[in-house]
Order: sequence, then structure tokens, then C-alpha cells
Amino acid sequence: MTATQPRSSRRTEILESRPVNLDGFVEEWPEKGLVAMESDFDPAPGVRVEDGRIVELDGRARADFDFMDTYIADHAIDAEAAEAANAVPSVEIARMLVDPRAGRDEVVAIGRALTPAKILDVVKLMNVVEIMMAMQKMRARRTPANQAHSTSAKDNPIQVAADAAEGALRGFAELETTLGVVRYAPLLAIALQVGGQAGRGGVLTQCALEEATELELGMRGITAYAETISVYGTESVFVDGDDTPWSKAFLASAYASRGIKMRFTSGTGSEVQMGNAEGRSMLYLEIRCILMARGAGVQGLQNGSISCIGVPGAVPGGIRAVAAENLIASWMDLECASGNDQSFSHSPMRRTSRLLPQLLPGTDFVCSGYSAVPNPDNMFAGSNLDVEDYDDWNTMQRDLQVDGGLRHVRDSEILQVREKAARALQAVFAELDLTPISDQEVEAAVYAHGSEDYPDRDVLEDIKAAQSVMDRGITGLDLVKALERGGFHDVAENLLNVLRQRVSGDLLQTSAILTGDFVPLSAINDANDYGGPGSGYRLEGERWEQLKKLRHVTSAENPETEVS
Amino acid sequence: MSATAPHSAPDSGPDLGPDDYPLSVNRQDLLRTPTGKPLSALTMEAVVAGEITPEDLRIAPETLLLQATLAESVQRRQLADNFRRAAELTAVPDAEVLAMYNALRPRASSREALIAIAENLEGKYHATVCGALVREAAEVYERRNLLASEEES
Repeated sequence: MTATQPRSSRRTEILESRPVNLDGFVEEWPEKGLVAMESDFDPAPGVRVEDGRIVELDGRARADFDFMDTYIADHAIDAEAAEAANAVPSVEIARMLVDPRAGRDEVVAIGRALTPAKILDVVKLMNVVEIMMAMQKMRARRTPANQAHSTSAKDNPIQVAADAAEGALRGFAELETTLGVVRYAPLLAIALQVGGQAGRGGVLTQCALEEATELELGMRGITAYAETISVYGTESVFVDGDDTPWSKAFLASAYASRGIKMRFTSGTGSEVQMGNAEGRSMLYLEIRCILMARGAGVQGLQNGSISCIGVPGAVPGGIRAVAAENLIASWMDLECASGNDQSFSHSPMRRTSRLLPQLLPGTDFVCSGYSAVPNPDNMFAGSNLDVEDYDDWNTMQRDLQVDGGLRHVRDSEILQVREKAARALQAVFAELDLTPISDQEVEAAVYAHGSEDYPDRDVLEDIKAAQSVMDRGITGLDLVKALERGGFHDVAENLLNVLRQRVSGDLLQTSAILTGDFVPLSAINDANDYGGPGSGYRLEGERWEQLKKLRHVTSAENPETEVS
Repeated sequence: MSATAPHSAPDSGPDLGPDDYPLSVNRQDLLRTPTGKPLSALTMEAVVAGEITPEDLRIAPETLLLQATLAESVQRRQLADNFRRAAELTAVPDAEVLAMYNALRPRASSREALIAIAENLEGKYHATVCGALVREAAEVYERRNLLASEEES
């Protein structure tokens, strides 16, 4: 080391050490699709209709359509209205999206007839605040909600159950689990369902797995909905994912045929990450996914880059593009579970800024999901938010008077539902002759933070038990019976009520969730009616009183004491 | 659609609108399980007495058609179409549904195999909308070179 290093200032050293500098950033490379939403390589908008059929889409003739073009042209776009709608100047459509005087229905109607490149052309005109303004109006369900992950680094079912119960009590409308060891799936799906219903009756649960297995657990009534049905914006990547728009559309009908709620998943950056973006921008390809989802008649979509968030996150304007993709899903009249899930940044400040475009306007599910376990236990590769952020989240809701779907809950209540969930699962495992759960494990669940706080399980025995759940054909109904026999009548009733929903099919409608009274709330009976200031969802009344509570709030009457 | 159908034929169901939703609250009178039971029969007492089977907790094709009417009443055409395909698939056993899905994956089936699935759907299950979807897939897969080669199928 003879050469002297150029000296840097102490300030530079301090800045160098900031967490944000551990994040990855790259220059745009539009030729390879490494560009958020402004690319010269995206096609120009255009549509031609002959005999009620789209024969040219965004500059491509029908003979040259790939399967996405074909599917979108034949199923997603209202061909009759297409030529007229696409002739409306993009700036007028963008203004309709932002202007509260243009009703949601009117904006949805014109959106039904637009091509992917036209939709891109419209949202390119919008800055992030305009995107949020539009999201506030275009979200399908009036009342925003939130979704959580409940997983375990050790695939410990007791942990999954206890954290599901706490998450449900804190307000998540949906809970999702997945696995480290896939063979554990039936046990964790049971744990999530039992824990969730112990926390708050009516919470909906799912287990993310390979498509066919996920469907099987749903058919048995062990899970209530499904979401990891991935779609992609280029034909080659779609095929690499071992599916086509037709297989996915069939799957959508298969779920509905069993009364099971389902949404697709897609997101900016997936195609470039999987190595074949065909030189298109991330948002252009995502718009194709959104239209494919609408064409398939699936009620909703999880998007917002999801597991590829590092890709748009690394390029200029990437997080604006992510906000735009959520908006487009809502504009296309789909339920939108809007990301804010996979770990995204080392910087707490950047994690928060990434969240605001969904939290402030509200979406159907602001996170999809929020880690209801410590991030090291999150088997979806961590989340942008985790349990350690609960108090910050609640404070942001209170500061800005926005409803992010959660609330502060007193410790005593949390400990109570964690114990109830663990005890209920202990009873179910005993009734079904699965691997026993000890009292020591139950006690650990009450007070635990992460998987290291629980006694180790006998993994081999658990996996055998998981296999026996499948071999014996155990169903959701068996769980109801086991809970009832085990003395958990209210949890059994809650689960039976969730299973009964299948018979009515009410949860199949767009953006459906279940209230604590088991009333389905969807974009039909809770349709977003935002029409400017003073209208739409307002955080007020009883709900606002709930959200005013935090862990530490000083009493006005007696400044020496706290209320919580 | 089936012998247990409590209501009128699929295409002439009641004229439902947004105010009828949720059916489980507002129109329980229209709801039956595939086994013909009303929603009110699905009680814990009945579960404990062993009177409820998993078949009682499925959706009936008639109900899916009601939900299709509701979806259409709020201009969700594709969602309604999906519910109509789903109504047809209620008759197809779980394992067969899974097998059909797997057969629709890229390069999983020959053209003939896909046409056979479509014929089976149309003939055995009267699932004409689903059959049309599979036929359409066969056509597109052929054009995009996504059929299985001879020896694979």
C-alpha cells in the first residue's frame, strides 16, 4: 500500500455507512428491459378491429400475435369500444383518473377498451401523487385492508398458529403461510387456519405452494383462498413458469368451482429477472399480465413487483412504476393486493417511502403481506414490514389519519389469543392423532418472539404426520370436529362459518373479505364511492377512536398516567 | 343442471342485482348445497351428529350462476364468464380437474389429447364453455409450437 488513497471527508464516511448504501442501484438498460416505464422500445399504442375482432394490437398484426397478445385481444379488451376509446387523447384519460368528478365506473368503462400500450401511455403522464389520487378512487373495495405472512424458519406449526392469532387480532383480513420444507405444508396450513380463527373469526387463510398442491389444500377446505397463481408478461417467461394463459384461466375456474376465492400474482421486474423481457419496459409487461388476469375472469391480482422488488427498486422511477401497476390493476376493476411484501431495502427511511403510495390512498390489501413474524422467520424471503414495525405502523396511521388495516392491541389481549391458538392447535393435533404438542410448547408460544424461542420439534415425526393428513384425506370439516371435541367451540364455529361461505360463493366476488360478523364485504356491497373531499372511505367514528390508541399515550386528565 | 337443482334452469335464473349481495345474508332462500340442503342446515349440531359431509360444503352450479348474474349486474363480464365455466366444472371430480389443468400446461399434451379433453368436457359433463376454452388452447398451442411432441404425449 504505497499509493495514498484519496482522502474522504468524515461526512462522506458517515454517508457511506448509511444503510441505504447497502442497497443495489443500476443504470437503465432499455434494450434488455431493465427500465421501469419509459422506454423507446415499447410499442406505440394502436388497435384495429374487423368484424368485432381485434386484428391489430399495439402495432402487431394478428398473424404475429404471441399468446399474450392473442389472449388479451380475445378476452380482455372490449373490442366493440376499442377503436373509439383508444382514440381518446391519453392526457384526457389521465385527467379522468385523477379528477374526482369523473366517477369510478366511468373510468373503469373506458379502461375496459384500452390496449396495453395505451394504458402505459396514460399512466406515463402521471406523477406519483397523481397515481395516489387515482388509486384512492379506483381501489375496488371502499374499505382498505391488509394481509400478513405467518411462517416459521423451523416450520414450527405452534409458532405459525400463535402469530396468526396475534395478526388476526391486530386486524389483518387475510393470512398467508408458506414453507421451508414443503412436506410440512398440511400441518402449517392447519396451524394457520386454527390460529387465525382463534385470533379473529372470519380471517381468511392461504398456503402458498406449487399450483396443483395449493389447489388440493383449498379443495379440502384446509385453506380459504389462494394467491400464488403466477402470470408473466412475455410468452417465453410464461412458458418457463410451466403455464399459459389458458392453463391459468382453467385454474381460475377450478378454484371458483370449489367456491374458493383466488387471485393471480404478477409484478414488474419478473420477466427481466427471469431473463426474457423481450426488450420491453417492466411496466408494459406488467400491464399485459393485468389484462391477462382480467381476461381470465379472476377477481383479483397480487401485484407491486412482489418477489422481484429489487429489480424495479434498482432503476430510476422504479417505485413510481410499482405504484402505477397497483393503480392499473385497480383501474382494470381487479382486487389489488399491493405488494409491500418482500424485503426491499436496508434503509428504514426508504422502506417507508416505498410504502406510502399504497398506505396513503389505501388499497384492497396494503401489504401482501406484512410479516406477522420476525423477518428471520419469514419464509417469503422477508418482508418490507415485520412485527417489529407494528408500533411504527400504528403511529403512522394515527399521525396521518389513514387506515392501514391494523390497530394497537393491549399485551394482555395478545397473550390471551396466542395461548388460545396454541391450545386449540394442541387439541386439534391430539384429536387427529398428529405429533403431540406439549404444554411447554404452548407456554413458549404465549411469550415468544421468533422460532428460537420455541422448543425444537421432532421434524421427522411432523413430516410423517403431515403426510398422514394427506393420506387420510383430512378436510376442513375434520378440523371443525376436532376443535369442537377438543373444547374450542367458538373457534370451531368460526371455522365452520368460513367453510359455509363456500356454499354461497359470496367470497368469489371482487375484493371480498369477511367481517368479524361473517358478513362478506366486497366491491359490490362495499363498492368504492370516492368522489372527492368528504366522500368515500373516511377514517372516522369508532374506527378512528381505535386507531388513536398507541402503546404509550399520555392521559389528558392526568399527565402522570398513560392510556393505551 | 342436476337432479337436485332447487331452482330454474341455468340460463333463466332470478334477476339479481347488487342489492341482493351478499347472498348468504340477503338471499339465503336461493342457496342450496350440492346435496340440496339450505345454508341453515349447516350447523354445529349437524356437524357433530355426523350429518354434514365435505360434499355439503361445496358450491352448487346453480349458485355459481347466481354469482355470475351478480357479477354481470356490476359490469364484470369476464368474472361472470369465469363463474359460468366454474359452474360446469363443479361436476368434474377433483382429481380430474387437476389432471385437466396439468394437461393444459405448455408442451404437456398433443393436439389430439387436448381435443379429447374438450370432447370429454362437452360430452360427459356438458361443459361446453370449458370445452371451448380447451379447444381454443389447442389451436393457439399449435400455432405457437406449445404442443407436446409425439413421443411425449
